[in-house]
Amino acid sequence: MFRKWFRKAKPLSQKQPSTPQQDPLSTDFHENLQVLRSIYNNCADVIFRPFLIGGNKKAAIVYIEGLSNIEEIDRSVLGPLMDAAAGEADTLRAIIENKITVPEIKEVKTFADCIGHISIGNPVLLIEQEDRALSLGLAKWEKRSLEEPTAESVLRGPREGFTESMGVNTSLLRRKIRSPRLKILSMKVGRYTQTEVVIAYIEGLADTSLIDEVRNRLQRIDMDGVLESGYVEEMIEDNPFSPFPQVINTERPDVVAANLLEGRVAILLDGTPFALIVPTTLYSLLQAAEDYYQRFMIGTAIRWLRYFFFVISLLLPSLYVAVITFHQEMVPTTLLISMARSREEIPFPALVEALFMEITFETLREAGVRLPKQVGAAVSIVGSLIIGQAAVSAGVASSPLVMVVAITGIASFSVPRYSAGIALRLLRFPMMLLAGSLGLLGVMLGIIAIIVHLCTLRSFGVPYLTPLAPIKGRDVKDVLFRAPWWMLNTRPRLTGEENKYRQAPGQKPDPARGTE
Amino acid sequence: MSEKGSPQAILTSFLTCISRIRKRGAREMNFPGLQKMSRMLLLLFLCTSVLPIAGCWDRKEINDVLLVSAVGIDKKNDKIEISIQIVVPKATGGGQQSISGGGGGGGGGVNPTFVNSATGITIADAIAKLQEQISRKIFWGQMKVLIFGEELAKEGIREHVDYLARHPQSRLRLHVFVSKGKAADILEVLPPLEKSSAESARELALSQFGLNKTMKELLQMLKGEAGAAALPRIEEVPPTTGGEKDHTTVRLNGTAVFKKDKMVGYVNDELTRGILWLRNEIKRATVTIEPSETKGRVSLELIRAKTELIPQIEHGTWKMTLKAVAEDDVVQNATNLDMLNPSVLKMLQKEAKKDLENRVYLALKKVQKGMKADIFGFAEAFHRKYPKQWAAAKDRWDQIFPNVEVKVDATVYIHRPGVSTESPALPKNEVQQ
Repeated sequence: MFRKWFRKAKPLSQKQPSTPQQDPLSTDFHENLQVLRSIYNNCADVIFRPFLIGGNKKAAIVYIEGLSNIEEIDRSVLGPLMDAAAGEADTLRAIIENKITVPEIKEVKTFADCIGHISIGNPVLLIEQEDRALSLGLAKWEKRSLEEPTAESVLRGPREGFTESMGVNTSLLRRKIRSPRLKILSMKVGRYTQTEVVIAYIEGLADTSLIDEVRNRLQRIDMDGVLESGYVEEMIEDNPFSPFPQVINTERPDVVAANLLEGRVAILLDGTPFALIVPTTLYSLLQAAEDYYQRFMIGTAIRWLRYFFFVISLLLPSLYVAVITFHQEMVPTTLLISMARSREEIPFPALVEALFMEITFETLREAGVRLPKQVGAAVSIVGSLIIGQAAVSAGVASSPLVMVVAITGIASFSVPRYSAGIALRLLRFPMMLLAGSLGLLGVMLGIIAIIVHLCTLRSFGVPYLTPLAPIKGRDVKDVLFRAPWWMLNTRPRLTGEENKYRQAPGQKPDPARGTE
Repeated sequence: MSEKGSPQAILTSFLTCISRIRKRGAREMNFPGLQKMSRMLLLLFLCTSVLPIAGCWDRKEINDVLLVSAVGIDKKNDKIEISIQIVVPKATGGGQQSISGGGGGGGGGVNPTFVNSATGITIADAIAKLQEQISRKIFWGQMKVLIFGEELAKEGIREHVDYLARHPQSRLRLHVFVSKGKAADILEVLPPLEKSSAESARELALSQFGLNKTMKELLQMLKGEAGAAALPRIEEVPPTTGGEKDHTTVRLNGTAVFKKDKMVGYVNDELTRGILWLRNEIKRATVTIEPSETKGRVSLELIRAKTELIPQIEHGTWKMTLKAVAEDDVVQNATNLDMLNPSVLKMLQKEAKKDLENRVYLALKKVQKGMKADIFGFAEAFHRKYPKQWAAAKDRWDQIFPNVEVKVDATVYIHRPGVSTESPALPKNEVQQ
């Protein structure tokens, strides 16, 4: 079965379909028009609008309906050119300088470029006897307005999130980091989708070799389409078979900006509000933007809480199964008796019971996510309350187990990055099987395997458990604690080594200072 | 879990399959991920194949396990009778909320514990017979209390301790008692407050009014150089009304004194306090003294106590000084004394000191002179300070011990007179300054 599957996956190295010609435009206006028409054959949404400049010179404007600002085309291009007196708009230079009142104009020389501009919404103006066309920056399409990211909401902090439109997203970044050292490299990925991918970094902070590596990995991607950052994420990961994400995704410009300032690199994709950040460590998956916005004490406390529940969400069901089937001596007697009482009428072994309830819970969760919002809320209430209650009174599950499942569920919600939570959800099941067959020994084996795996993981060359393994004493201040801002003087070592210090030292606020 | 058909056959076929895929992957497809994947598949397979081979062998569901809360060992003719107190999970009502609906239903009328007994030549034999009578697997891991019957204790407990000390499930933190009468009778008591008599016994031992000995300490005492042991004695409180078993409870009353592993006697509750002082185990005590110069009594509560054994060998005479320091609070003043008066306090402290020393001497008289059992740890104290002399005299310790001169040097501090100084119910002019 596997063999067949892999053979199917084989046909690779056939090159991109050669749709757009690399030929330059000719001076023959009709030929140019003809070629474009043939390229856009059967494309009903591409508009060819021929007209005369100043009543004698032939010209045509080509654009895609819905991607360009029609009023602007009318007012700034068609109007002035058609009304031009004879001789006033003879040369290309004259047209650009005198007639067209569009801020952004580019000269394009090949059909490929023409197509590129047309497809991103810039109307292309072809003019008689010119071997160059003009691309007019009049792209405008329907955009979602800025909204608060639903997956990463905060109590305190900016409420704007990325949208599906690249221009908006880069502008959001630029608004946070005004320095010209914020570099935004653009490239195209996807044979058909020609998706714009942007690498954002801060010059002088991000390691140049990291930037090169990111660019290389992105350039190696050769696939039909890139519709979401998930496509890219899977194509650039260091270890594709790990359940742990090696790239963070975020919808928040402030998160991206903060990471850029730490010397990381962000990858933005057109068409999705999710930006990717590399390199990633396990701990950064357990940090939320708000840690840095709230006071540092609560930030530290919440971090510890998260670390604790991170472990709980992985281990609690398996510990329950192990203890109840192998290690009854480990439970306080009174608790054990009440557990025994509740299990008295359960027909299944604890493992089956736990698997059943966990799978039910995961299904409920999935159903809640996919369903329309209004129905989803109802499903989660029905699921958590009614099914739990019903399962107990029907004698299918015992009440301690329902509690275990509930706590596990809550614990997995406490992981701020959804993608990290998924890894734990997956690993929970093998852990439960190990616990059910080998008891705590199995749980320990599982933990060892996971830790070994985490130690081998790397994200763009950075060990996944940095700064705790390998230990980087300087960086512990932002992992085990959230040190107050006046103490966060250095950048994380493995990403921000280029430029070590991010602020002047000794800024601890002190009312006595300044009066001296 | 059932055994898988033939694990080896499956393993070999899987291995060949894997290696074929690996070779193909390397040769034809030039697809490095495949090799990695096949390696992971191999690992996964090996891991899962371990499960049916070794897994589940000692798996026991909690509802197939018999929870033993206490065990009692008695002598029956020339055999051993072992009784176990079993917790009935169904019957332990309490927190049955609506969410647990069908699970048990509060168990009306079923006793929370019951006792099962079996007779055998050894404990192991008796337990094997016991297991035959019971549908669930006996589980010792939650056992908290071990009670030796009086009769058995007199014959020696060493061989019986062995089974429980050797069993992997049984705990060293087991509380050990000697019962007055049969141990099984104690187990059968259904106290109105706690879930079982074992729980009552444990809580009583933990309260530290009397002796509190765990299995570990018992083993240490039996192995120790003094060759003596002391265990708390437990007895059934006679029912106050009617004769019903479930309205009685148990209480600790005195100490059973062992020489080697045989019980040689019994010390009452009052003298037990003296033993606790000597062993530096006193934690809670209320002392009532009767000051000689006035009418009435004053009760003191012990807050902190520390005792120290200071051995001394002088010209061949073995001496022991017990240095005791106690800190007390006044809890009741039934006299007309003013507790703020330093001279009154001094007097009270003196009285309390006398009382303390008296108790210790009484205990010594009974245990040291009477039973000749060194349950105070004198042997260890001498050994530690005079290792050479000890080595020479070790074998004669039985003769030396009763003749060790013991001096008690107690100091009592009374720190706090409580919220009121003189008796608050006393007219001002009657207060004696």
